[in-house]
Amino acid sequence: MEIRIENLTKEYGSYTAVNVPALTIASGESFGLVGNNGAGKTTLFRAMLDLIEPNTGAVYIDDKATNKSEVWKAITGSYLDENFLIGHLLPEEYFDFIASLHGMSEADLKAKLEEYENLFNGEIIGGKKLIRDLSKGNQKKVGIAAALLFDPKVLVLDEPFANLDPSTQIRLKDLLKHLKTDRGVTMLISSHDLSHVTDVCERIVLLEKGQVINDIRTSAATLKELEDYFANVSASRSHSE
Amino acid sequence: MKNLISIIRLDWKQALRSPLWHRKLLVNLFLGLTFLYLASMFLILGIVLDDILIKIPMEGIDYNTYGGSFVLRRLNQFMLYYFFADIIIRYFMQKLPAMSVQAYLHLPLKRSKLVHFMLLKTLWSPFNLLHLLIFTPFVLELFDNLDFIPAFGWTLGFLSVIYLVNFFLVFLKRTSDVDTRVYLGMLATLIVVIALDWFGVVDFQSISGSVFNTFFLHPISVLVTILLMSFCYWLNFRYLKANMYMSRLSKTTRNEVSYVGSGILSRFGLIGRLTEMEFKFIWRNKRPKSVLLITILFLGYGLLVFPNEEYAGNYLMYVLFSIIITGMFMLNYGQYLLGWEGNHFDHILTRNVSFKDYYWSKYLLFAIVSAGAMILSIPYAYFGWEVLLVLFCVFLFNLGIGSHFIMFFGSMNPKKIDLSKGTMLNWQGVGAAQFLIIFPVLGLPLALYGIGVFFWGTTGAMLLIGTIGFLGLAGTQIWIGLLAKWLESQRYEISNDFRNQ
Repeated sequence: MEIRIENLTKEYGSYTAVNVPALTIASGESFGLVGNNGAGKTTLFRAMLDLIEPNTGAVYIDDKATNKSEVWKAITGSYLDENFLIGHLLPEEYFDFIASLHGMSEADLKAKLEEYENLFNGEIIGGKKLIRDLSKGNQKKVGIAAALLFDPKVLVLDEPFANLDPSTQIRLKDLLKHLKTDRGVTMLISSHDLSHVTDVCERIVLLEKGQVINDIRTSAATLKELEDYFANVSASRSHSE
Repeated sequence: MKNLISIIRLDWKQALRSPLWHRKLLVNLFLGLTFLYLASMFLILGIVLDDILIKIPMEGIDYNTYGGSFVLRRLNQFMLYYFFADIIIRYFMQKLPAMSVQAYLHLPLKRSKLVHFMLLKTLWSPFNLLHLLIFTPFVLELFDNLDFIPAFGWTLGFLSVIYLVNFFLVFLKRTSDVDTRVYLGMLATLIVVIALDWFGVVDFQSISGSVFNTFFLHPISVLVTILLMSFCYWLNFRYLKANMYMSRLSKTTRNEVSYVGSGILSRFGLIGRLTEMEFKFIWRNKRPKSVLLITILFLGYGLLVFPNEEYAGNYLMYVLFSIIITGMFMLNYGQYLLGWEGNHFDHILTRNVSFKDYYWSKYLLFAIVSAGAMILSIPYAYFGWEVLLVLFCVFLFNLGIGSHFIMFFGSMNPKKIDLSKGTMLNWQGVGAAQFLIIFPVLGLPLALYGIGVFFWGTTGAMLLIGTIGFLGLAGTQIWIGLLAKWLESQRYEISNDFRNQ
C-alpha cells in the first residue's frame, strides 16, 4: 500500500508542529522516522491515523484520505501509546476482540499468537494480570502484537524499541525484517535508537521542527551520518545558549 | 520544621492546581452554593440545638433536677447514637488522606515527619469540621451555663472523641480492604444494635448519658479519651511508618483476573460483541460497577411511593419514580458515556468500528439493563395495574427518547474518568452537560404528562408518554445516525482533550 502525504501542516497557535509539503512512502517500503523530542514524529503519525485534525492537507493510504474514508482502518495496524490499549482486559481478551473486529477465526488467532510467543517471552499469555497492571514493556508488547495480529498491509509504530528489554528488542527487529521481506508490509517506524532504526529501515527521514531535513536511503554510512547530525545539533544548541 | 512547612506548601499547591478547578464556572458555582447551603444548614442546626433539646419530652432530666446542666445531660443521652452514625458515615464516605508521598520518599526527609504530616492532614477532613460547625454554637452557650472547668472538660472530651473516631477509622480503612463482607458485617451490627435498643434489651440512652456526663462531672476523665485517641494515632503512625513503601501505599489492588471468553451476545455480530465488552468494562472497574449496583438498589425505589397512601393516585410521582426505576442505569452510566473510555479513546478511533456501531452497542447496553429493570419491576403490579401501565409507558419513553438524549449529553465535552475511584462524593467528570441532561430526561416526560392530563386525563397522559416513546423507538436508526455524525465532527477535539487530561 502506498502512503502519500500531501501538503500536510499542523499548527498549535503560532507553533508549527508538522509541515510536510510532499512525501511518498512506496508500497512495501520500511520507513524510519528520526528526530529529537518535539520534532513532530508523533504528531505526524497521529495526523496519519486521523487522531488530530491537520490545518491543511491530508495523508492518503492507498489513494484514500485517512480523514475522509475509514477503509484504511481495516488494513492498518498501529500502536503509538497506551491510549491504544484497553486497560481492563486481559491480553488474550484484547487479542480476541481485535481478532473479531477483523473477522479472524479462533484458529487463525491461535496460530498468530504462537508466532509471537518468542516476543512475549512467556509473560503475556496465560497470565492473570489485566493490561493496565502490566509493566510498560509488556504493555508495549501487547500493543505491538495487537497491531500485527491481523496481517496489516500498513504498520505504524511509535518508538517500538523503547522500554523493551534487549532480548525483545532484537527479536522485534527480526520480526519486523521478516514482515518486510516475506509479507511486503509497508512499515513506518519512529525511533530514538539510531542503530535499531537503521538496521530495520531501508529509508530514513530526519525531522526537525516539523520539517523533513534529510531523506536517506540506508547504507553502511547512514548510522555514522545520523550520529554526526545529532551530536552537532546538541553542540550548536549549547553554543547558542 | 522547615521541611514540614515546605511539604505543607507543596501539598497546598497540589490542591490549588488540582484539575478539579479547571471546570466550567457554572459547575463550580453550583458546587460552591451546595456546599454553602449544607454548611449553613449545619450551623443553623447548631444554633437551634438548645431549643430542640429543651422541647424534647424527657422525663427525669429537667431544670428542676439538674439546673443549668440539664440541656447538656439531654444531649449526652444521644451522643452514642450520634457517634455511631458518624462511624458508619465516615466508614463509607471519608477518604483516606491522599497525598502523593511517593514523590517525597527518596528525598532527604525524615520518614516520621511525612507520616505525621499524612496523619495531621486528616484533621482538616470535612467529616471533622462538620462536627465543629454543629457544636461550636452549642459549646459557646455551654460556657454560659456551666462553670469553666466542667464546660472545658466536656468540650475537650467531645473533641477527643471526634478525633478518636477519626484516627480509629483511618486506621481501620487503611488496614482492611473495603469489601462485601465488611459491608455486610457493618449492616449486621447496625441491625443488632437497633434491635437491642428497640426492644429495650440494652438501654443505650442511659449508657450514653453516663459516659458523656462523666466529662463534665469529673473533667479529669477526659484524660482517658485523650489517651485512647493518642493510642489510635500511635497505631496509625506505627503502621504507616512500617508500610510507607511505594508498592504498599498505592492501593491499586492487582487482583488476579480469569479469562472470560465471548458469550451469547457476540452471536449477534459486532454490536453484540461490543456490548459484551461494555459489560466486562463495568464489571472490572470500581466506579462503573458501583453505578450498576446502585441501579439494582433503586429497583426498590418504587416501594417508597406505590404503596404509600400519601401518594395514592398521584400519577406525577408515579411517572417520576418510574423514570428512575427503569432509567437509573442509563442516566448514571450514560452521562459519562465517552468519559469512561478516556483512557483508550485512541484505540476506538483507529479500529475499524464505525461510530454508528459504537453508539448501537451503547444503546443495546441501555436497552438490556433497562428491560431487565422493567421485567424485575413487574411485581409492582401488586399495587394496581395502573402502576404497571405507568412503568411500561415510561420505560418506552426512556428507551425511545431519553436514551438518545443521554447518549448525546454524555458525549458532550467528556472528561476522562479515573476508574479506580468509587462513586461516593466523586465529582470527577461532572460538567454542565450532567445538569442539562435533567431537562429532557425528567422534564420532558413530566411535561408530556401535564399536557396529557389536561386534554385526556391520566390514562391518556400515560398513553401519550408511551406513544411518544414508541415513535422515538421506531426512529432509533435515525437518532443513532445523527449521533454518529456528530461524534465524527467532534472526534479530534474529544481525543485531543483526553490526551491532555
